[in-house]
Amino acid sequence: MGVSQHENGLQPAQSTQSGASGVPAEPAVSVSGISKTFWRDGQPTKALHDIHLGIAPGEFVCLLGPSGCGKSTLLHIVAGFIAPDEGEIAAHGGRVTGPGVDRCVLFQSPTLFPWLTSRDNVLFGPRSRGMDNEEMRSRADALLATVGLEDFKDHYPHQLSGGMRHRAALARALINRPRILLMDEPFAALDAITREQMQNFLLDLWQRERMTVLFVTHDVEEAALLSDRVCIMSPRPGRIVDIVDIELARPRDEALRDTAEFVTLRRGLRERLADA
Amino acid sequence: MSTGSTTEAPGILRSPSGATRHWLISVVSVIGGLVVWQMAAAFIIRDPVLLPTPVETILVLVRYLNSPYPSAGETLIGHSLISLGRVVAGFAIGSFIGVAIGAMMAGFRSFRAVVDPFIEITRPLPPLAFVPVLIVWFGIGEAPKIILIAAGVVPVMAISTAAGLDGIPREMLNCARCLGASEWYTMIHVRIRAAMPQIITGMRLSMGLSWTSIVAVEMIAATAGLGFVILQAGQFLDTSLIFAGILIIALLGLGLDACLRRLQRHLDPTMKP
Repeated sequence: MGVSQHENGLQPAQSTQSGASGVPAEPAVSVSGISKTFWRDGQPTKALHDIHLGIAPGEFVCLLGPSGCGKSTLLHIVAGFIAPDEGEIAAHGGRVTGPGVDRCVLFQSPTLFPWLTSRDNVLFGPRSRGMDNEEMRSRADALLATVGLEDFKDHYPHQLSGGMRHRAALARALINRPRILLMDEPFAALDAITREQMQNFLLDLWQRERMTVLFVTHDVEEAALLSDRVCIMSPRPGRIVDIVDIELARPRDEALRDTAEFVTLRRGLRERLADA
Repeated sequence: MSTGSTTEAPGILRSPSGATRHWLISVVSVIGGLVVWQMAAAFIIRDPVLLPTPVETILVLVRYLNSPYPSAGETLIGHSLISLGRVVAGFAIGSFIGVAIGAMMAGFRSFRAVVDPFIEITRPLPPLAFVPVLIVWFGIGEAPKIILIAAGVVPVMAISTAAGLDGIPREMLNCARCLGASEWYTMIHVRIRAAMPQIITGMRLSMGLSWTSIVAVEMIAATAGLGFVILQAGQFLDTSLIFAGILIIALLGLGLDACLRRLQRHLDPTMKP
């Protein structure tokens, strides 16, 4: 059970050489030979070294590692915000050269536009591409209802709670129907209770929409709960040192957190992270 | 504080909210200031050339609203409109240039390195110092007057625009890009939009500065304007008219600032509760 039982029958890619089965299995994200060095005051810091990673469509992959291991840098490279020194990124077969609507990023802070109401924030994407029509407006309302903000459509971000802001940001990302969601420690700044709520919410959402997710975190429990696969990264230079398949049954919910299976898995992950 | 007594005070006085309370105290403070002025002028100084009372000042102001000063010149309304025109023209031109320079400073590091020293040098210079040279360069028409006001506005606007544009988190721009906005759309609808509250703060500061330099401006061979009235009245020791001119400048400054504050509230929803 677990990872291989996806509805499309795809094997999650372990490397860039996916598609060994008969299905036209193009990985959703393929990272091949990525290296990146940052220079500060003439001193080089090797942020990433020769990263290879393939993510199957509909797969939920976590990058887990201590801060400074380059996991956010990797995510920003996949998003197209920064260019790698070496290597290539492809999303659904197309080479990534910059940010694109197919890959939406959610940051640690919700980065809502403070001068727009929740609804106008959600409509930002379509409007920026000249698609301000009735269909988009009703879709925005439906999405706001999905994330539980139907009564807060006309509120400005500063009038919302932390969790609400994150849910509004999620709705804003989803309106573009991105095939890939890139999440950069999205819940790290939230209090424990809100964070658990958001994790449960994300599980539900993923269960329904089955988009591909690349999720960066330093929280072992979060990685274990959410993902199909956890890539453990180690710092200086940042590289993927271990890949762990999380074979917990889907759909998952809150109750899973307290099961013996989950606790064992979490301990295992923590040990492998310590070894990294 | 009258606690518990519910009979005499109307609702708003019984439990004033923070804002109302603040406003009430400010009104009382202004009235108090006027009373102190009236007392000091009428009973301590007792010389209208040294210090006219507020009542005299208002009477002079009202008298000259419709009668010309000097006898062949404009009424106070006419002088006010002329000064207002100069301030608004200089302010508008200066804001436009300042915002453009500020945007370039935020966009290009090397451009910032080029203009930074000039801004730092010109910012603390008193406008009065430029009067003689402006007369030499631009004569005694309207041009040097408007240029002098604009010159004071440009550095303030450039600095606040650059600071506003710098202050936008990288993430917000990245976010706009991955939501599908083009570079151009992001520049206009996110970067400049996000900097607007700070740009307007700069405008409020430089609007104040423009009024500050109006007297210096109207030393340039002016035959009309509030600064001219103040200088002229000073030569004839007509102190109450000086105060009347100052009062009008204060009121016009307040009025224009209120317009900008309104605009700021409109553009920055975080200022609403």
